[in-house]
Amino acid sequence: MNIVVAVKVVPDDQDIQVTAAGELDMSKAHQAISAYDLNAIEAAAQLAAAAGDSTVSVVTVGGSAIDDSKLKKNILARGADQLFMVADDAAADLDAHATAAALAEKIQAIGACDVVICGDGSADNYAQQVDVQLAAKLGVPSVNGVVKIEANGAAITAERKLEDVVEVVEVPTPCVLAVSPDVALPRIPGMKDILKAGKKPMDIAGAGEIAAATVKTIEVKAPEAAERKLDVKDAADDGAIEAFAAAIKAAL
Amino acid sequence: MADEVAVAVIGAEEVPAGIADAAYHVAVPADAVADDANLTLAPVVEGADVVIAEPTRHVKSVVGKLAAAAGASVITDALSIEGGVATEMYFGGVGQVKRQAETSCAFYTAGAGAFGDAQPSGGNGAAEELAWVAPANAVKLVSSSPIEKSGVDLTKSDVVVAAGRGFAEEGDLDLARAFCDKIGAGLGCSRPLAEGVNWMPTETYIGVSGLMLSPKVYVGVGISGQMQHMVGVKSAGTVFAINKDKNAPIFKQCDYGLVGDLKTILPALTAAL
Ligand SMILES: Cc1cc2nc3c(=O)[nH]c(=O)nc-3n(C[C@H](O)[C@H](O)[C@H](O)COP(=O)(O)OP(=O)(O)OC[C@H]3O[C@@H](n4cnc5c(N)ncnc54)[C@H](O)[C@@H]3O)c2cc1C
Repeated sequence: MNIVVAVKVVPDDQDIQVTAAGELDMSKAHQAISAYDLNAIEAAAQLAAAAGDSTVSVVTVGGSAIDDSKLKKNILARGADQLFMVADDAAADLDAHATAAALAEKIQAIGACDVVICGDGSADNYAQQVDVQLAAKLGVPSVNGVVKIEANGAAITAERKLEDVVEVVEVPTPCVLAVSPDVALPRIPGMKDILKAGKKPMDIAGAGEIAAATVKTIEVKAPEAAERKLDVKDAADDGAIEAFAAAIKAAL
Repeated sequence: MADEVAVAVIGAEEVPAGIADAAYHVAVPADAVADDANLTLAPVVEGADVVIAEPTRHVKSVVGKLAAAAGASVITDALSIEGGVATEMYFGGVGQVKRQAETSCAFYTAGAGAFGDAQPSGGNGAAEELAWVAPANAVKLVSSSPIEKSGVDLTKSDVVVAAGRGFAEEGDLDLARAFCDKIGAGLGCSRPLAEGVNWMPTETYIGVSGLMLSPKVYVGVGISGQMQHMVGVKSAGTVFAINKDKNAPIFKQCDYGLVGDLKTILPALTAAL
């Protein structure tokens, strides 16, 4: 089975600084695999293991900063076989429509593909739209909220956890599946996995033609934070727990 | 936002009268999924300037396909939409971003909260039934079973305690439950406790992708204070935090904090109340 995982690389939000002017400074942020895409990679690796004789290809599109050797090894240390990366400032911060177009171009270039797995939503926008836009671009069906995947001949049987119901669906392949974090717990790669990852095929390329923007970003700001008292005590200090209890009582 | 409003409902529900200028209903065939309603709805959306959709999984699929067909992108989970400019969360609340569609039709998803106390109006009567148009390669529904809900509705709780990954074992949640009983609180959690381990019901996790609450009192226990969670209680009256790591980010966002092990603090605190 040929399995593709679409992954987004984002600045690690732990490293994002808020400037005095209330702007977000990401210049010191490490490049990281978007949190829920880790579950998508793991789901792909598990599906490949279950199906046997499979290839897992990771496809990612982003700015030139994502061409980071530690990050690339991290991606490939999680059960994927090969990486296709578009790292080009022309491809930074694309909207869902343009991202899907760029991913589709890469996926079609890889050749045969039975299933594309996407994460639940990216850590930055969490729009949950690239999966469906990508499916539309590839002309294949898609479902989201997937928590179980089973290969079933020319179809995938998927269980989806939605707001109020659990649906079991049959999706003809090729198809796009967006998985919920529940689908699989990401592995923690060991030293060996990381060393092996460095030897796996990596195709790093510039962007081809990028689709025109469909959405314009006007402003990014940190929200105003509420003023808090910040009265923090060590629980071992005399009377700390009693004072905390008293403060709770007063606030009730 | 518009002079003429049409409403389209997918699924079993009836479309109320008097809420729009025109109303449409799509019945989903028994072996199909609502996600595939896009072709059925395409004629209704054709020529629209604005499409606003409900932020559920089914509808996010449908509106995404409609946007893709129009060469557009959906601006999702808008907190507000003013003059065509939508405000959205960025990095789970680390920032907020204002965005505007550059396409002739603007697509949004938004929850009810985005429109304040706006009331529906209009002269629609019974909804027009749209005949289902199946796509090529349709998704086939095998079964659909309702999720049993816990019945907990934290949006109605004045006092909310949230348990995080600091709880090493499911049984330790009893410490939190005893504490909740003492102060009349509802028990919520961070997302990891509702997903993967499934110790807590999905409808009780707090944060950008879960519940957005404004309780009088919030107590985070064994919660690190990641923005994706904290944004859900940003407008809480008083924020309390218990965490064994004195450098946990939650201590920079709380009114009162206690540094220590929740397994010793919770029983002592429950006794002291
Ligand atoms: C797109 C996206 C959306 C997300 N949406 C949400 C959301 O809506 N809601 C949400 O909650 N999360 C969400 N997350 C996840 C979020 O980023 C954090 O990973 C999550 O909130 C962390 O949960 P936590 O604080 O329970 O766990 P951790 O971050 O692991 O923190 C556990 C804390 O417990 C403390 N601790 C450990 N043992 C003890 C002890 N014995 N006593 C006291 N303290 C102890 C530790 O010091 C630590 O600070 C989202 C993430 C992404 C990428």
